[in-house]
Amino acid sequence: MARRLSLQLTGRPLPVPSRARFLPYLLLLPSLVLAAGVIFWPVGDLLEIATNDVNRFGQLRGFNDFANFKALVADPNFTAALIRTVVWTVAVVGGTILISVPVALILNEDFYGRDVARVIVMLPWAVSLTMTAIVWRWALNGESGMLNSALRGLGLIDTNIQWLATADLAFPVQIGIGILVTIPFTTTIFLGGLSSIPPDLYEASALEGAGPWQQFRHITLPLLKPFLNIAMVLNTIYVFNSFPIIWVMTQGGPANSTDILVTHLYKLGFRIGKLGEASAVSVVTLAILLVFTIVYVRLAMREEAR
Amino acid sequence: MTKTALFKLGLAAGLSLVAVAAAQAGTVRVTVAEYSAKTGPYFEEAAKSFEAANPGTDIEIEVVPWDVLLQKLTTDIAGGSNADLSIIGTRWLLDFVSQEVAEPLDAYITDEFKGRFIDTFLSPSVMDGKTYGLPIAASARAMYYNKALFEQAGIAEPPKTWDELKTSAEKISGLGGEVYGFGLQGKEIETDVYFYYGMWSYGAEILGADGTSGLDDPGAIEAAKLYKGLIDAKATQPGVTSYSREDVQNLFKQGKVGMMITAPFLSNQIKEEAPDLKYGVTAIPAGPSGDRGTYGVTDSIIMFKNSQVKDEAWKFMDYLFTTEMRSKFTEGEGFLPVNKEVAASDYFVNNADLKEFTALLPDARFAPVISGWEEIAQITSDALQKIYLGEGDLEATLKDAAAKADAILKQ
Repeated sequence: MARRLSLQLTGRPLPVPSRARFLPYLLLLPSLVLAAGVIFWPVGDLLEIATNDVNRFGQLRGFNDFANFKALVADPNFTAALIRTVVWTVAVVGGTILISVPVALILNEDFYGRDVARVIVMLPWAVSLTMTAIVWRWALNGESGMLNSALRGLGLIDTNIQWLATADLAFPVQIGIGILVTIPFTTTIFLGGLSSIPPDLYEASALEGAGPWQQFRHITLPLLKPFLNIAMVLNTIYVFNSFPIIWVMTQGGPANSTDILVTHLYKLGFRIGKLGEASAVSVVTLAILLVFTIVYVRLAMREEAR
Repeated sequence: MTKTALFKLGLAAGLSLVAVAAAQAGTVRVTVAEYSAKTGPYFEEAAKSFEAANPGTDIEIEVVPWDVLLQKLTTDIAGGSNADLSIIGTRWLLDFVSQEVAEPLDAYITDEFKGRFIDTFLSPSVMDGKTYGLPIAASARAMYYNKALFEQAGIAEPPKTWDELKTSAEKISGLGGEVYGFGLQGKEIETDVYFYYGMWSYGAEILGADGTSGLDDPGAIEAAKLYKGLIDAKATQPGVTSYSREDVQNLFKQGKVGMMITAPFLSNQIKEEAPDLKYGVTAIPAGPSGDRGTYGVTDSIIMFKNSQVKDEAWKFMDYLFTTEMRSKFTEGEGFLPVNKEVAASDYFVNNADLKEFTALLPDARFAPVISGWEEIAQITSDALQKIYLGEGDLEATLKDAAAKADAILKQ
């Protein structure tokens, strides 16, 4: 906008006749209306439920002075779940990016069997998240799980480990599985980014005597920056809201010690029947993600502009 | 909301459109819970034979897995796209009645119809003198024990009291080789119920005579100490908080636990999945004063108030509760008979396992009919998980849970 305004002020003619200026907006209108219907209508509904007294079946019984939000703040389980969600998101997104960058670098090299390796890395993506979680739940079963019998077969442990019995063990395991299933998507983004870096940059730097680390540090990483940002934002949104892994494996238990906001929300809404409070949790997650995305994108754009 | 939930919501919305279109021509939509792989085919067959006998009426069956049934009903009712009949957990009925979602059936029920039922099972669906549901499924709990493990451990008789159970369980765990005495559930749905068995034996009730939570009664504290003692003595499987009821049942089928308390349907599963397992069924152990209790559960089929085809819907309900249809369903699913005639049939009279369950019925407690029951169950399960994990003081945890439950009861 600002640039176009300055163009007008300097008196240079606009590239298109003024009547046609509205045409793009007009053409966009149908999809805008559709998008608004799909996005804003449910959000409006959500806000309505969150600020109303709601019965078990979603029937509204009047505005209740934000009692739903007050109940959340007073609930120690909500605060605990909020903090745990932040830990979960930071650990899964951070871990994924730390692992995906080297994986993408390796898969970007030309080596024998690369196509097979790429397929193997991408495969977890093709399996539904719920299915993955169910298989892991079986594998982690204390008495008849594959993981314990494999570890015992290798002679690494003598007695079975009860993976999902305590949060101390269950939550890190869940984070690990979260990382595992997020890697394919993230690696794909990075592979796309790597292929956009012109190879002559590496040739030139090699001629100047740059080693692999210096090449990574000064060429790969800066040019991968926009892709890192994308991966960060998209993964944060997905992982923050990710339900199946935790729900299938522990349902947020034992004693709510692995609950994140979505599992807490599900219990509130569909187990206990407090749809108002559940919607309030939903509004809170929406607000957090919105603020995060806006702030992050702003920061990232400012950096790029510099 | 998750993607799958959104998808389901969309699917429900789509289906409801179809349903609205179809509802014109005397179509009765029935939502049924999937108890086993046999449930869907049973109801489809019932629909087919009913349609043949009643031309002009179409029966549409929607089979829904148990875990998502309440969620589906909630979204359906909120969107006004619910079926005409639905199976629900009887413990949810109060909400359905107080929100005026369920239709009283008294206008349809004749004395002959009422006479078909065993009273114990019909009574939970009666509220304020009106019958709102019919018991489509009924079950109680008893203790299964592994005869082979008992023999190896040199125990002649299954335990009759909790003290005897502790001794037997320790002996079986002492056999080594990763077999454990008592299978204790510590995760997911009915974690609280598994504790009530002990609590009832020690004379505590879910709701005391004064209408407050019984979780802080001396009997409940005794029972919690007993269970925690079993865990500490390694008489249970390790890591109880990672075992749901199904997980403990699997351990039993694999011959890895000596005893567990669960519903009649485990007999059917053992028959199919572990036919060589030598097991017996016996009463739930009694407490020091001879008290004991089993958990009685019924699921009800209800009619929705907003149904446009109530007469046709009732006809189908009536058909489902004929002796022939009932015995087919009850035998297939491994439930307890709710019809007197079915109970008197050869299959049930000669079934040694089921006899143990029916013998316990005089001691059966049903989930109390109070609003907020699900929340109290959740609070109880959370408290128990803390106790099983050894977090915090046992009595303080129970007192805290009782206080929370009382706050809900007062609402």
